[in-house]
Amino acid sequence: MRYSELTWRHFSAASAAGELTGAGVRRGAAGSVAQGTWVQFEVRLAAARIDTVRFRAFGCPHVIAVADWVAQAAVGRAAAAVLPEAVQALRERFDVPVEKLGRLLIVEDAWIATISSPDP
Amino acid sequence: MTSGRELPVYLDYAATTPVDERVAARMADCLTRDGRFGNPSSVHAHGTAAHEWVEAARAEVAAAVGAEARDVVWTSGATEANNLAIFGVANHYADAGRHIVTARTEHKAVLDPCQELARRGWRVTYLKPTRGGVIEPEQVAAALEPDTVLVSLMHVNNEIGVVQDIAAIARICTAHGGARLHVDAAQSVGKCALQFAASGVDLMSLSAHKAYGPKGVGALLVARNRGVQLRPLMFGGGQERNLRSGTVATHQAVGMGAAFALAAQVWAAESARLEPLRDRLWAGLAAQGGVLRNGAASVSVAQVLNVSFEGVEGESLLAQIESRIAVSTGSACSSAVREPSYVLRALGRDERLAESSLRFSLGRFSTEADIDVAVATVAQALKRLRRIAGAGPCVTAN
Repeated sequence: MRYSELTWRHFSAASAAGELTGAGVRRGAAGSVAQGTWVQFEVRLAAARIDTVRFRAFGCPHVIAVADWVAQAAVGRAAAAVLPEAVQALRERFDVPVEKLGRLLIVEDAWIATISSPDP
Repeated sequence: MTSGRELPVYLDYAATTPVDERVAARMADCLTRDGRFGNPSSVHAHGTAAHEWVEAARAEVAAAVGAEARDVVWTSGATEANNLAIFGVANHYADAGRHIVTARTEHKAVLDPCQELARRGWRVTYLKPTRGGVIEPEQVAAALEPDTVLVSLMHVNNEIGVVQDIAAIARICTAHGGARLHVDAAQSVGKCALQFAASGVDLMSLSAHKAYGPKGVGALLVARNRGVQLRPLMFGGGQERNLRSGTVATHQAVGMGAAFALAAQVWAAESARLEPLRDRLWAGLAAQGGVLRNGAASVSVAQVLNVSFEGVEGESLLAQIESRIAVSTGSACSSAVREPSYVLRALGRDERLAESSLRFSLGRFSTEADIDVAVATVAQALKRLRRIAGAGPCVTAN
């Protein structure tokens, strides 16, 4: 499969992949390995704004790339249970085939689960 | 190569092989004005010159697989040979019975014709292999019915390299009396011994391009001495004893003959050289942990190694390695979303493991350095993707 330059860059670097340690970390996940896509975000807030984000992902290059982009784009924003960009816009930004839309919804679900998780 | 870009290490010889230079030279002698370019069916000197070489090639193919020259019917490849065998038998013996036995692990070139016959009213039994990919002869015996007219099973599986005991299966079919045995041996030549006549097989499909010959040519072996009858698929000229009309492509037939003659000479030494390379590859991959071998190693050819990787997603694995090594994956890309291999699913692998599998196939030009590149590339990809996935991606949070 051919990937857009943006997809390839985020898939190759995945610089936000990892985990956060210490207190005050919100965590949420969605999907499953059996489903073929699983995404987890960990978020640290500072004064109700997103300070740091890390992700874990089992999935195709599009899923890893979008999760990486979300993890970076969310930093500095208010903690809200919506992605920094809507799923459809992300699909277009990363040139994700429409058949994979469900995978991007898993990224969204993981983000919502993270932000909606109770204060640690 | 002229692209100027370094190509990945080729470990996909089961998909196709480069034409051996000695084969290409023989083919070139059939193409131009100073060569044997005539129509082999023509009676003038140009035609008879081409005819001589076509017949010599027929003899070479036959000799390489333990058949008689008169058994060889040229086709455009193994897919056409499979179609000719399956539809040819089904159509000729339709009044005797409409039951066919095959296996879930066959190539699409066998499964699709069988499915087409099912649509036309034939009954098809699909045998399930053992977890190692073997079809036990007893399974074939149990599946035969009074109206079974055809059993179609492959010799060397294209995905996992497992070799079926076709001689034992042939004995069962012969004892049945009405069931002709067709064997798809597209992957066999150059990898293991084939003795068509001695094995008691009725029909056998062969391919040139899997054995360092050209694409676009193959053959169906029809055991004349066993009285097998076929109805042709193509009409218009009556070539190949009315079984395959159309001008025989001299250069293709000569190329296949040369490739098979060469394969007969070198396959044993080549397999002996490749076996330790295959074992080195397996050892290197297995050392990464979470690596499962597909297909029973004890009955596999030396050229094929199929493995599944735990903890990584198949598409990401492929994306990570494809710039450095050329291999086949355990999934089909019929759309943007990949379908896991039905062969591996038939062996009992779950969808994820089937999808995260790779087939490495070694060949005449594979080296130890190629193997080391493959191991290092996959090891690096596994390490990275498993790090991104983390230790416990088994949670379903929604």
